[in-house]
Amino acid sequence: MAWIAERRRRSRFESVVLPHLDAAYALARWLTRNDADAADVVQEAVLRAFRYFDTYREGDAKSWILRIVRRTCYSWLERNRPADIVPLDEEGMLDESVASVPVAAANTEALLHNRSDLRRLDVLIEALPAPLREVIVLRELNELGYREIAEITGVPIGTVMSRLHRARSALRRTWEGKDIGDAM
Amino acid sequence: MQCDEVRPRLDAYIDDELAEAERAQLRDHFVDCPECGPEATALERLRDGIRQSAPSYRAPEALRSQIRFALRQEAATSARATRPAPGWLAYAASIMLAVAVGSGGTLLITAERHEDAVANELIDSHLRSLLGNHLTDVASSDQHTVKPWFAGRSDVSPPAVDLAVEGFPLVGGRLDLIAGKPVPALVYRRREHVINVFVLPASRSDLGVNLTRRGYSLRHWDEGDLGFWAVTDAAPTELAEFERVFRAATNG
Repeated sequence: MAWIAERRRRSRFESVVLPHLDAAYALARWLTRNDADAADVVQEAVLRAFRYFDTYREGDAKSWILRIVRRTCYSWLERNRPADIVPLDEEGMLDESVASVPVAAANTEALLHNRSDLRRLDVLIEALPAPLREVIVLRELNELGYREIAEITGVPIGTVMSRLHRARSALRRTWEGKDIGDAM
Repeated sequence: MQCDEVRPRLDAYIDDELAEAERAQLRDHFVDCPECGPEATALERLRDGIRQSAPSYRAPEALRSQIRFALRQEAATSARATRPAPGWLAYAASIMLAVAVGSGGTLLITAERHEDAVANELIDSHLRSLLGNHLTDVASSDQHTVKPWFAGRSDVSPPAVDLAVEGFPLVGGRLDLIAGKPVPALVYRRREHVINVFVLPASRSDLGVNLTRRGYSLRHWDEGDLGFWAVTDAAPTELAEFERVFRAATNG
């Protein structure tokens, strides 16, 4: 009967996807920068994944679900907080582009409450533009390789590398105090 | 390898994305170069800093349970869409109940779902409360502490009576997320067992529920405009006794 097949499909889906719920939530939390929004996005993404479960082929479930979560995050941000999506300027070659990296998204000032925040890497990461923030999160916190990051973010590996480099350079400039001197 | 070849590879070096031969070339270069080695070290320091200072976000239990619930509903909906309804529904209605979220956001008990979604959801919540250390958000046997704690946190204000004399001491209260709504849970103990009493708006049906699922007992009753759902791993007879003393205490 249909409901038995449906139940089987659901429990298979749960066993594939739910083990990665923490990673999904963490990515959504970093991209939306808010607990409640992250929860909304993750739920929406998981339901969407469930509807498309037939398109999932045995393979890397984590990349699969993170890709859907990421896409859901961006469309959620477009709908609800378009100002948060700051398009990167032209993706340049590795070293040329570094100088032009925006240190932070438009609302940096709201995020950086005081000078001591300039020493807090979590705050600095939150202030990065989303395309840089996500590669840092996927690489340093999820410890994913370039290939997986490319798959999740839907860009070529070369772009992953240049974004990672730009993100790190931006973080270091502030964190290592090159912009603000060493006074703390 | 010269600095201008090394620099673009430093990220890949610390990310362990270089082939061993290339790694070796970079390492050789670090020995001679006063700048590239420290640059790699600085990148590693940044990574350590990020890993130490970044919070490791984990999906809240409430989200996990809400997602399971939503999946069940989703699966139920698509299964219903593909099956001929009548015979099966009649059968289902006789043994099961489910929750439907009404337009006002209230929970209505309907007897038409093929899955006892409420029972499963509440038993899941009960189980989660026993794992880890989230049995209570407010731990107190004092109703004047527990009841006000819920004010402003949920739509309904549960009567938190201590039933220690009757053998069911009040342990505290907790807020769970069920069907996307915060639902107060009163927590009682029966010897080594825990009884969770979830308090929802009344179902406005005369449906008294008394069932056992997956080894857990569940009872439901309405009192005024509140609907009570008690779940426990204690014996069904003990839960029946609990319902009796709880209703006696809250009705008085």
